[in-house]
Amino acid sequence: MANTLRSYLTCIRNTLEAAMCLQNFPCQEVERHNKPEVELQTSAELLLNPVLICRNEAEKCLIETSVNSLRISIKVKQADELENILTKKFLRFLSMRAEAFQVLRRKPVQGYDISFLITNYHCEEMHKHKLIDFIVQFMEDIDKEISELKLSVNTRGRLVATEFLKQFV
Amino acid sequence: MWNSYLQFSTKEHQIMVLSMAIPAPPPETVFIGGLPLGAIEAIKLAYGAVVQILDPPKDGYNLTIKLNLSKLPTDEEKRHALLVKIASVREVVLGAPLRVVLKHLQSRTVAPDIDRLVALVHRPKESFFLLPQAEKVTVVFPMRFKDNIDTVLATSFLQEFVEARRTAGLNNAPPCLWSPSPPLELRGAPIQALTANAGFVTFVIFPRHVESRKLDRTVWSLSSFHAYVSYHVKCSEGFMHTRMRRRVESLIEALDRAKPDVEKSKKTAHGRSFKRRA
Repeated sequence: MANTLRSYLTCIRNTLEAAMCLQNFPCQEVERHNKPEVELQTSAELLLNPVLICRNEAEKCLIETSVNSLRISIKVKQADELENILTKKFLRFLSMRAEAFQVLRRKPVQGYDISFLITNYHCEEMHKHKLIDFIVQFMEDIDKEISELKLSVNTRGRLVATEFLKQFV
Repeated sequence: MWNSYLQFSTKEHQIMVLSMAIPAPPPETVFIGGLPLGAIEAIKLAYGAVVQILDPPKDGYNLTIKLNLSKLPTDEEKRHALLVKIASVREVVLGAPLRVVLKHLQSRTVAPDIDRLVALVHRPKESFFLLPQAEKVTVVFPMRFKDNIDTVLATSFLQEFVEARRTAGLNNAPPCLWSPSPPLELRGAPIQALTANAGFVTFVIFPRHVESRKLDRTVWSLSSFHAYVSYHVKCSEGFMHTRMRRRVESLIEALDRAKPDVEKSKKTAHGRSFKRRA
């Protein structure tokens, strides 16, 4: 199980290193505007082919690149009802703080759980390899956090039940 | 919700009048004279000479009792225990039918004139059910929660009850079951009592759980079961929030590391410094 995680993350890392070649590109259609082209999706010549990396049916990662911006969308594994609500809760918590994260998108792309939007400005401000490190670490952290939350809920449930039943003995 | 009314008299310093209102019970629950079955006896039993029930109760309330504070026991511990008991008057009143049924279980009998299925209020418009029999009493709680997240967390907690009994070696604890659909015991209950988004919890209470001193504890545990579960669900959510906040902080720290050091100035040999352009 851990092996697939490693190779999944390595694949994403390599793709990001190739995709993160962003440069400033003023908008072609509107004067004096500068928009992330990956969000507009209007001019075909500015967009690269999107890459979809699947770990399994439940987990995948979509990387769409354009000349001045890059969009990464992640679908996180949700095995049961509890993991489902924990993931939704946690990712909503993060998305609401998108301002603080700068590279996070406020709403995930349709069909995914969370999305990043990286523009050329971010690349100018931050080291490229560190940015990629951050994205990969983010993905690991989400997985870790969800499983830890689930474990804490189960442990707490067990304790609650035991304490209650002990009262009768 | 739950209303209480406290009244003190300036002339008689030791007298306090407490009035309590109980919201209207759901249709399947029966109140006699505005109070659950056995409530009057339970109050007399719990409080003794300190409390006098006033009839009729204050307008708009179900019960009015007059407390004579001069009659409280002098012993500090006993006094404190009684005061706590007075503060839990709601539980005494609502748990009274449960107490009646379990008291009969002590002597392995069934209360006379009692239905096969008894409904008791424990929350506004919600009740739980008892099936009194001579050798055991089955208690069924339909669990309902408003929030979706609460429901999922509660469901996972309630399923743990079955597991916990098995693994922790609590063989003497009441057997408990959880099921998403109404159990067979609830045959004949009204329809609205049969929908519960967090499933149904069933406990089977045997005489050994209610012998002598254990009776009060058992009554209290069962009366406050729903409150106990929802308290822990809320605690769980609070804990998750704290964890998530901490995780967000650590992620932002990681992102800050991605930024190159700002305004790192170097000093030359002659003490002049220059700023590095990013």
